Amino acid sequence: MSLINETSLLTARILRRWSSDAATVAQSLLFPAGFLVALNVVLGDGVKRVTGTSALYGSVPLVSLIGATSGAIIVAVGVMRERDDGLLARFWVVPSHRASGLLSRLLAEAVRIVVITSFVMCVGLLLGFRFNQGFPQAVAWLFMPTVFGVAFSAVVMTIALYAQNTLVPQATEVIAAVMFFFSTGFVPLDQFPKWLQPFVEHQPCSFVVEAMRGLSMGGPVLKPVLGTLLWSAGIAAIIAVPLAVGYRRASRRD
Amino acid sequence: MTVGAIPLSARPAPSTPQQWWTLTTRMIAPTLANGELATQIIGSIVFTVGFYLPLKNILGAVQPMSSYAQYLTPLIVVQAIFFAAVSAAFRSAIDALQGINRRFRAMPMAALTPLAARMTASIYRCVVALVVSLACGHVIGFRFHGPLWHTVGFIALTLLIGAALALVGDLIGAATRNPEATAPLLLVPQVTLGLASVGLQPVERFPGWIQPFVRDQPLSQFLNSMRALAGDSTPAAPPVTWSVIGPALAWVAGIVVVFTWLHARVAARRP
Repeated sequence: MSLINETSLLTARILRRWSSDAATVAQSLLFPAGFLVALNVVLGDGVKRVTGTSALYGSVPLVSLIGATSGAIIVAVGVMRERDDGLLARFWVVPSHRASGLLSRLLAEAVRIVVITSFVMCVGLLLGFRFNQGFPQAVAWLFMPTVFGVAFSAVVMTIALYAQNTLVPQATEVIAAVMFFFSTGFVPLDQFPKWLQPFVEHQPCSFVVEAMRGLSMGGPVLKPVLGTLLWSAGIAAIIAVPLAVGYRRASRRD
Repeated sequence: MTVGAIPLSARPAPSTPQQWWTLTTRMIAPTLANGELATQIIGSIVFTVGFYLPLKNILGAVQPMSSYAQYLTPLIVVQAIFFAAVSAAFRSAIDALQGINRRFRAMPMAALTPLAARMTASIYRCVVALVVSLACGHVIGFRFHGPLWHTVGFIALTLLIGAALALVGDLIGAATRNPEATAPLLLVPQVTLGLASVGLQPVERFPGWIQPFVRDQPLSQFLNSMRALAGDSTPAAPPVTWSVIGPALAWVAGIVVVFTWLHARVAARRP
């Protein structure tokens, strides 16, 4: 019981901190919104000409993912700072569940990503994006970026726990950029060179985009959803131990 | 004589160039060890292939120049120096946050020396960005077609733009004192201005309502000038005239004047 209480308490702490930082909130919401509009203006026409369907069914998911991944840096830098301030060490000596610190951060990430996805969805609806598949599918759509986004945040947090300061923000941007450029949310699969298509088709970002395309516009759902879940579970399995060890180490630093 | 006063002969005589150089190496030396340089190189490569490969067919058909590589490379260069400005902002925010700027102010040192050192480090980052992004451009097929002084002008203009952007980044870092917000804060102009510019496709391809913005915004002016100075094997590149280069230089000058003034205001603020 104490784990649930403490986790929710610490999650609320992170979310309160996050929501009281007006600059961060504004930019985490305005950046994806501006990005979606810009992407639609630049590529909407060209993609529609090639595929015959609106580019929004790929770009709305893509921008939600970009919002999720580019915001991961906030939690990572937050952990680094609280480690340096000694707050993590302080929490470590409080009689609370050992897992609550880490779980609360991941839970806060999940909430953050759902909020961003909802906001991007609203902008998309204004631009002409529609749910054609029904309410349950729309709800599933809303949570797809969270599945992968939390796993991504866990990776960024792990890097932050081991690496030096300045590396993390830029490295995150680079990873996010690769996933953004080489995904089916940017341009259709057949626009990429032949040798690159297997990578584009099977990287996590494309799976999430295709799952969300299927859940909103229509099309295959099972395979991309499975792909998303497998990628996220695989990342979680690889990252779990280093993350826990790194967090423990950061908490016990004097 | 006051008890404890240090006799004039025993006081150190600090030299401004020496101080500037010490502070500059303080900014540059860690970039070799902590991976900042490596991420900058990788970042440029990612942006090159990331724009070029997916968009070559879809947008390559609608641009006027001899190849999409020739059309796109100025944008790749600008994105790379934008990355350098993000690094500058991050370092400046950390310095402001950890109080080292305050400490510097208590030292016998000219007020602008720390800023000068940070700007020198920024120019170093811009040079790296320029070399890497031009190498990337060369691989996909970008070439300089103009006379030598056009190429020199291209490099000089790029470094000027880089310095102006670094000044903006540095101010954002120093003013917000928030390293976690700086990178995303600069991502907004980097991506939205980058997409809504003539970097990826000509202005005629945009919807009518946004065309005036796309044509006149600073990034498009920078890109036009860089394209003019790089030239093309066909006559499609803009001509090297004052009406093409002038707006870019005016934007750079305007940014430098406004942001130096803002820097002075932020530096004068009590922490």
